[in-house]
Amino acid sequence: MKYFSVRKSWILVFAIMTIFTLAACSSDETGGGSGEEPDEITAWAWDPNFNIAALELAKESYEKDIKLKIIENAQDDIVQKLNTGLSSGTMKGMPNIVLIEDQRAQSFLKAYPDAFYPLDEYINPDDFAAYKLAPTSLDGKQYGLPFDTGVTGLFFRTDYLKEAGYTMEDLSNITWEKYIEIGKDVKAKTGKDMISLDPNDLGLIRVMIQSAGSWYVKEDGTTVHLKDNEALKKAFQNYKAMMEADFVKANSDWSQFIAAFNSGDVATVPSGNWIGPSIEAEASQKGKWAVAQIPRLDMEGAVNASNQGGSSFYVLNIPGKEKAAEFLAETFGSSKQFYQDLVLDVGALGTYKPASEGEAYQAENEYFGGQKLISDFSKWMEEIPSVNYGMHTYAIEDILAAEMQNYLNGKSLEDALADAQAQAEAQLK
Amino acid sequence: MGKAMNNTGSIPYTVKKKRKSGGLKKNYIGWFFILIAVAGICLFYFYPMVQALLLSFQSGMGANLEYVGLDNYIRLFSDPTFIAALTNTMIYLLVQVPVMIVLALFFSVLLNDATLKFRGFFRLAIFLPCVTSLVAYAVIFKYLFGVDGLVNRFLIDLSITSEPLNWLSDPLLAKLTIIIAITWRWTGYNMIFYLSALQNVDKSMYEAAKIDGASALQQFFYITVPMLKPIILFTSIISTIGTLQIFDEIMNITNGGPGNATLSISMYIYNLSFEYTPDFGYAATVSYVIVILVVLLSLIQFKVAGDNK
Amino acid sequence: MRKLQRIATYIFLSIAAIVSIFPFLWMLVSMTNKSVDITQGRLLPGTHLFENLTVLFQQVDMVTALVNSTIIAVITTFLTLLIGSLAGYGFEIYRTPGKDRIFNILLLSMMIPFAAIMIPLYRLFGGISATIPFLGIDTLAAAILPTIITAFFIFFFRQNTKMFARDLVEAGRIDGLSELGIFFRIYLPTMKTSYAAAAIIAFMNSWNNFLWPLVVLQSPEKQTIPLLISKLGAGYTPDFGVIMSAIVIATLPTAIVFFLMQKHFVAGMMGSVKG
Repeated sequence: MKYFSVRKSWILVFAIMTIFTLAACSSDETGGGSGEEPDEITAWAWDPNFNIAALELAKESYEKDIKLKIIENAQDDIVQKLNTGLSSGTMKGMPNIVLIEDQRAQSFLKAYPDAFYPLDEYINPDDFAAYKLAPTSLDGKQYGLPFDTGVTGLFFRTDYLKEAGYTMEDLSNITWEKYIEIGKDVKAKTGKDMISLDPNDLGLIRVMIQSAGSWYVKEDGTTVHLKDNEALKKAFQNYKAMMEADFVKANSDWSQFIAAFNSGDVATVPSGNWIGPSIEAEASQKGKWAVAQIPRLDMEGAVNASNQGGSSFYVLNIPGKEKAAEFLAETFGSSKQFYQDLVLDVGALGTYKPASEGEAYQAENEYFGGQKLISDFSKWMEEIPSVNYGMHTYAIEDILAAEMQNYLNGKSLEDALADAQAQAEAQLK
Repeated sequence: MGKAMNNTGSIPYTVKKKRKSGGLKKNYIGWFFILIAVAGICLFYFYPMVQALLLSFQSGMGANLEYVGLDNYIRLFSDPTFIAALTNTMIYLLVQVPVMIVLALFFSVLLNDATLKFRGFFRLAIFLPCVTSLVAYAVIFKYLFGVDGLVNRFLIDLSITSEPLNWLSDPLLAKLTIIIAITWRWTGYNMIFYLSALQNVDKSMYEAAKIDGASALQQFFYITVPMLKPIILFTSIISTIGTLQIFDEIMNITNGGPGNATLSISMYIYNLSFEYTPDFGYAATVSYVIVILVVLLSLIQFKVAGDNK
Repeated sequence: MRKLQRIATYIFLSIAAIVSIFPFLWMLVSMTNKSVDITQGRLLPGTHLFENLTVLFQQVDMVTALVNSTIIAVITTFLTLLIGSLAGYGFEIYRTPGKDRIFNILLLSMMIPFAAIMIPLYRLFGGISATIPFLGIDTLAAAILPTIITAFFIFFFRQNTKMFARDLVEAGRIDGLSELGIFFRIYLPTMKTSYAAAAIIAFMNSWNNFLWPLVVLQSPEKQTIPLLISKLGAGYTPDFGVIMSAIVIATLPTAIVFFLMQKHFVAGMMGSVKG
């Protein structure tokens, strides 16, 4: 009995597995997105008040007849869906247009070589802010249509700073060392913290090093550059100085970060321009905010302009790509008028340079005490040093975050960065 | 296929047929009972698992994979991130699973008492954490365990500590926070299995024990635990699997930090597949580490429970 | 003494209940507040409930998501219980060494993290799409199929069957019931509490399932509740009032299923059935 059923059961299992494997293998070839031109184009993006709204606006302003289906997904969800679809080779269900964060773009372009459709024939890359081009192109081909800027500014509470004796002048064109000095003074005179930071998030480090034209990798996008990276050293030192200065309100997630300034607990928010709407959400603080240039690192070549976040549109290499590319080119790619509407209706700031001459860019922002915010940001945007983010930003950052903890706990800076370098090189073969 | 089966089975077949034809018929029907399940699992789990196994011998970015033999498996041993993730996960497992199993058993015995008032409410309350969406739950946990959060205020009021504790940014406390979070969320889930199984325990056994003068504790250890053994085995295995694959809590509460102090194996798999430039080959290798660990631990648990005797 | 013990039990359970239920209460309160108040940690009820619900049902397609999630969860629960209990019963009652071995192999399928098999599974469904479109990518069926047949429930029912009195099977055979008849007429009613527990878990798993529906469902008309909630938190300025409202609504069905099912967990029921 025993002998019999063991044998039989194994045969059955094998038989079933064989059948399924065969079925699955034979179906592999029939999968994929080959087919004729679809009459509907789909686009994936993630923020209903921002990039989704921008796509809606583009759809409205597009003169040709197009059926565009705009689908909202969280950014992390898009990354997962796209990776799953592209790596399985199953293009069914993939969108024609997708928004990808600039710091991730090189990963996608290199990991899926034939999945994206070059846009060189449709747009002129030189029309866009220079710093957007390195992350959105590969091997001399322009794949991304540069969209929003993450140009940074130092958002600050004019009332608190005034109480401590500082004006816009005093915050303009400063270094991070000066910023820390002011921070201590503000804390002493007003009792308010200078900044809210999440100790697990090194976003500010990235802002600092890009202002000096540096990154975690060298210009080739792959050589790890942590050890002997002057900018990174300075950024780490500044970060530690801040943590030790007793003016940091720690947060552990996004909502606490927003709460820190909405509640009036912190005096400044150095951030990408997209934080504006979150600040404006607290109506009672109207007129109490202004934006200065971001501080710079104290070193040769560093400027008071940097970037945090920002994303671009990509066209997938599947049927409908020409339609999709044409649509993008005629709206985001070349229409000055479209960008005026974008600023007025959506409040989104693109990276298309010719648009900054338009009237809408001169508008005064009431919430920020009448400051010409859009105009200032677009001016700073053109100064952002161009760096190649390469493919490993997030992988390296996780390694750096661990070493940052060690550094804050007393490890020497040289050792911390050398260890991070060694670990990154081992991991990113 | 039919022919092959006849051939290999022919000799024992005739022998058995004479002696136990009824048993054989039942045996066929037994196959019918499990057929859909076996077929479905082969298709939806084993077929992808075989593919994943093949992947674990490949490496490269995204779609540019090539076979590298055992390189991925060798890489594991010199990958400090993986070792940190493995260590953390084992700590979660060793501390958290026993605590949770005991707690769940305890709750289910208390809540099985027919004379207890508001039984339904208490059961629902303790079950509720595992249906609460992680988004909300993470936000709340971060508030509770923040530096000026409720937990610290409570501890200071009770003079347990004088300084507020850095629950989320101290490596050791962050692990503890995660363990508390997992236990809080999944105890009620395990309780369900015990509650339902307790209904299948013959009540007359307890009555007999009471007459013999057995205390509540003795009843628990000499009747409840042995009777529930199959279910205790079940829950400890699924909790082992669950904890080895723990992801949601870490992703939402600490995101693996500070540094790598709370990173779990599954979180590392996620990072390798989606957060970093994807290397699905190496991610598959790390996944198979979980499989191997679970198989080993399950074997031990089956052995300890003496289930198959 | 006994009374004291009783009071201690109530105090202990009340503390446990408060600790467990606190986040849910906080969500209920948050549902009535503005996003700005929630991020600042307001713990008192506000007046923003109506606005939050309006946004949820008018600007976001909550109704579609509820309908989809309900369809998926109900079908999944029913099929999971049927297939899982048939197999669990089959493995235990018709036990042979061969089946034991297959059972052990099946257990392997729950040991791999889902993320590791997701891509091959997606490719498989890509293949299915080409031949049987109504089971392919972007169909509710695709979201359901891989989740209804799980080693988890086979294992669960098998372990519970171990506690089932085998004499009942023999009694059924003597009464002339078919093998399937024994399963449906004797086993199923006797194991009611196991089914109740399985129903809670299966419903909850399906209702909260995120990763697989996320990759396999593409169109907005097919989205489920967890996908919708994930999307709500996506923007640069998430509205926590709306998110909390969605989460409260999303929690209710599972809580209701639990409450209805736990009534079957009444001490001593088995004794009477067996007698």
